[in-house]
Amino acid sequence: MVQGEESSWRMASAHERVALPFNQALAYGVQAHAAAAAAPPACFLDFQPAAAAAAYFGELEEALIHGGASASVDPSMIKSDVQTKSAGYLAARPPTLEIFPSWPMRHQQQLHSGNSQSVGSTPDSSSAQNTMSQMELVSPASSAQRQEVMMVTTDDYSYKPGLAAAAAPPPPGPAAAPSFQQQPMQLHGGVHDKRKHGSTRKDGKLVDTKTERRLAQNREAARKSRLRKKAYVQQLETSRIRLQQVEHELQRARSQGLFVGGCSAAGDMSSGAAMFDMEYARWLDDDSKRLAELRGGLQAHLLDGNLGLIVEECMHHYDELFQLKAALARSDVFHLLTGTWATHAERCFFWMGGFRPSELLKILIPQLDPLTEQQLLGIYNLQQSSEQAEEALAQGLHQLHQCLADTVAAGTLNDGAAAANYMSLMAVALEKLGSLESFYQQADNLRQQTLHQMRRILTTRQAARCFLSIGEYYRRLRALSNLWASRPRENFIGTESLSPTATELQVMHQQQQNQFSGF
Amino acid sequence: MQYGAAAEQAWYMPAMPVAATVEETAAQCVKRLASESAVVVFSVSSCCMCHAVKRLFCGMGVHPMVHELDLDPRGRELERALAGLLGAGPATAPVVPVVFIGGRLVGAMDRVMAAHINGSLVPLLKEAGALWL
Repeated sequence: MVQGEESSWRMASAHERVALPFNQALAYGVQAHAAAAAAPPACFLDFQPAAAAAAYFGELEEALIHGGASASVDPSMIKSDVQTKSAGYLAARPPTLEIFPSWPMRHQQQLHSGNSQSVGSTPDSSSAQNTMSQMELVSPASSAQRQEVMMVTTDDYSYKPGLAAAAAPPPPGPAAAPSFQQQPMQLHGGVHDKRKHGSTRKDGKLVDTKTERRLAQNREAARKSRLRKKAYVQQLETSRIRLQQVEHELQRARSQGLFVGGCSAAGDMSSGAAMFDMEYARWLDDDSKRLAELRGGLQAHLLDGNLGLIVEECMHHYDELFQLKAALARSDVFHLLTGTWATHAERCFFWMGGFRPSELLKILIPQLDPLTEQQLLGIYNLQQSSEQAEEALAQGLHQLHQCLADTVAAGTLNDGAAAANYMSLMAVALEKLGSLESFYQQADNLRQQTLHQMRRILTTRQAARCFLSIGEYYRRLRALSNLWASRPRENFIGTESLSPTATELQVMHQQQQNQFSGF
Repeated sequence: MQYGAAAEQAWYMPAMPVAATVEETAAQCVKRLASESAVVVFSVSSCCMCHAVKRLFCGMGVHPMVHELDLDPRGRELERALAGLLGAGPATAPVVPVVFIGGRLVGAMDRVMAAHINGSLVPLLKEAGALWL
């Protein structure tokens, strides 16, 4: 039934603009047909051969076949019914939807020809309506109701009476069903005669149930796919709206941040910076997952082998972050060093674009308490060498700043841009600025090496606790930043008007300070 | 300490530009210079990363022999030879500083720092006789 579904999807997009009353009419039709579906009339047995023969077509064509093959119906009843029903259509439908691109041309022609022969007495507009209604039957509308109706047509071989029930009350049960069936049958009579008698069936009832079951399954599948489509579209819509909101917030925040921080006037971040921010956000998500894994692993007292795997993953995760930062340093080193990608509280402790290794070690040592002598020695050596390396890098950076300042201030500043060696001056300054990247690279390298060395010194369990501590420490800093950002502003009305949250914040802040008082 | 012409605040030992023997290739020159002293640093006087490396060694109490390539007549060749020794890297990255300890190549700044962090630098220095205690 993929064929039917495909065409249904295509047509659905084309028919978004059909009038609402038509949908309502179809709704009635569904209800009416549901009543009719309970007891398939005997006259339906006639076109079961047609159904069987045409089973290999899509369910759309099946609907027509079944609809077109009913036998003993009163023609007068048909005409009158058609007229009343199509009158309702006339009111409901704009007669403009005759062209259905996905509808095979021969069907259209036959529809037209069949229509003109059989319903010649009815007014043109109604015939047009019926043609359209035919096509509407097999072409699913944008609304679920119409699709319901289409699906319904494949049920019980009875043509949709609902289409006919436009403004009129639901037609009385099976009586209406065959009456309306006659007309489509006549429309397709010429085409489907062959099919009707194409194959022979001994036991009509057996085929009935089997085909019925199959059709029911098709219906179910189609319904499910419709629901899925609806859900997907809704999801797209909501995420689009959310994306717009987030973009607005970002713009607002960035403009505010830029204004406060006194950074460059350009509102746009470079693409490298934007990409890094996105990747960093994803890294943070992964980070929280890793922390949860670590915590779970420690509590579950996993074997060292398994815990070691988790620890290795954590290490790898940090390596990824350093790779990201290296890429950022290559593309936009200023974004790295200003640290706008990190939260405010983290930025307080920033040293050359990230954490200061010796500081982190100072925090970690009390957390890893049961350490052997050798481990303690190793960690203190690590601390000392990282301090020396940090000092060396800081000195180098200081030298760079000096050089840069000297270069930019070379010559007389009073001359402005007209100074003699302005261009060469700028060129040298540019070159000096380029070496900033290498300093931040080295700083990140230092951080990475420190983490690796920690991993080497500690046992697996200790390393797990170490990574957990690091992760939790930075998570707390980030939470602190969020709390700070959302704290209620002080108002001048009075101290008692300070909301409890403010005092809570203060308490929490003090607690955190006490926690890290050792460092 | 000896103060070279280019050092304003020289607290390291800049080596005088060595008069190379005629037939020596740049690579051989590098090798020779590297084995002349316990710790040898090839640098450029205006490079701040080289400054950082020098500071690092001085902070550890090591006094390296520094060869300023921009003050050496063969400096460019030596730089190319050093680049060859270090292996392929980004073309725009500066080669210097390059550190040799005990005649053996340690590498550029990142290698030196990695060695220092994982505790292998100090034994190396002690072995080369640049550090006591």
